[in-house]
Amino acid sequence: MAAEGVEAVAAEAAVVAEADTMNELQDRVGLGWRADLAAGIFSHLEYIDLLEVVADDFFGAPRQIRALKTLASQVSVVLHGVGMGLASSVPVETKRLEKMARLVEQVRPEFWSEHLAFVRGGGIEIGHLAATPRTADTLEGAAENLSRAAALVGSKPIVENIATLIDPPGSNLSESAWISGILASADCDLLLDLHNVYANGLNHGYDPKAFLPQIPAARFRAIHIAGGKFISAPDGSQRLLDDHLHDVPDPVFELLEEAAALSPNPLTVILERDGAYPSMDCLLAQVELARQALARGRARRTVSQEVLV
Amino acid sequence: MSARAFEAFLTHIYMDAGARARFKANPRAEARRAGLSDEECTALENTDWVGLEMAARSFARKRELKRKEHPRNSFKDTLRNLLASFSAPFRRH
Repeated sequence: MAAEGVEAVAAEAAVVAEADTMNELQDRVGLGWRADLAAGIFSHLEYIDLLEVVADDFFGAPRQIRALKTLASQVSVVLHGVGMGLASSVPVETKRLEKMARLVEQVRPEFWSEHLAFVRGGGIEIGHLAATPRTADTLEGAAENLSRAAALVGSKPIVENIATLIDPPGSNLSESAWISGILASADCDLLLDLHNVYANGLNHGYDPKAFLPQIPAARFRAIHIAGGKFISAPDGSQRLLDDHLHDVPDPVFELLEEAAALSPNPLTVILERDGAYPSMDCLLAQVELARQALARGRARRTVSQEVLV
Repeated sequence: MSARAFEAFLTHIYMDAGARARFKANPRAEARRAGLSDEECTALENTDWVGLEMAARSFARKRELKRKEHPRNSFKDTLRNLLASFSAPFRRH
């Protein structure tokens, strides 16, 4: 190999090593807190940078909040809301914001997050996250709700893109344009759920990898990874259900690498698992795969920055 | 017509299998009956029908799971939905 070639390889190795160091310092990987995983989590805290706790499970439950505060004294905790319905033309209920405000005050998480979804209409609770029609009206409604949330809770939530089996009726904006518009209008960061991107891409006919650069990467702050399963549609076709009951598939780790290559900021990655729990070793192996994907993405980012210079 | 009414209509067809069947049989008439605008009625004629059925079933499964895991919250939602249904514009006919 010519001397110039050797120097180039050495320089790239140094850049990758530097990226690895930066990565260790900046990016973090943790788990979604579930009671069924408690014993495994506590005995493996050295492999888990932080825990994400579902906030709604603690609303109006003082005994559980005391336990949560104890947990938060041992490991970094972030709060994740599921019931506000922020992406709606309906104003978010004050009592829900007040509950979140009290919990944030008591637990003092690093941040709190909620979904870009609607969960009720006409006073009826859907019982889950429904995809909001992507229009200028709902974009404006979401921005207003996020502004109210920030005022009442005392900090802005990080907002999460959701998975949907149905292409939301009445939409006239693309998913990326709608999300980007909300982030800009509300000046919020994104909790980028990569399995939701993967599922929506497969179910609604777009390339998940092409989706990521359509969102401002400077808004990426946290990331969810999870697994799902294909279910049969009434017409015999199949769609991917984001059920959090399966291991993270390889394409989601590839998307994580892409996100890390794009993001200029430290990322907080959470592995979500809601049931059919595998061994803790299996979960920790997925945590490790996430760290490797982050490192690959950071190395690519650093190399590309070097080329630009 | 408002985005709020549109979200309420979507909620109705996600939650009520009978309403969903009527909507699939005649989307424009059902959307019109709910007071939606011409533009909204047209948008609803292009509904992702396969996705609608799958999403509605998925929501039903989630509610059932929630009823088992969080019976207190589930009861509150059920009661709230019952009360809301008395004043909802989408009455069974």
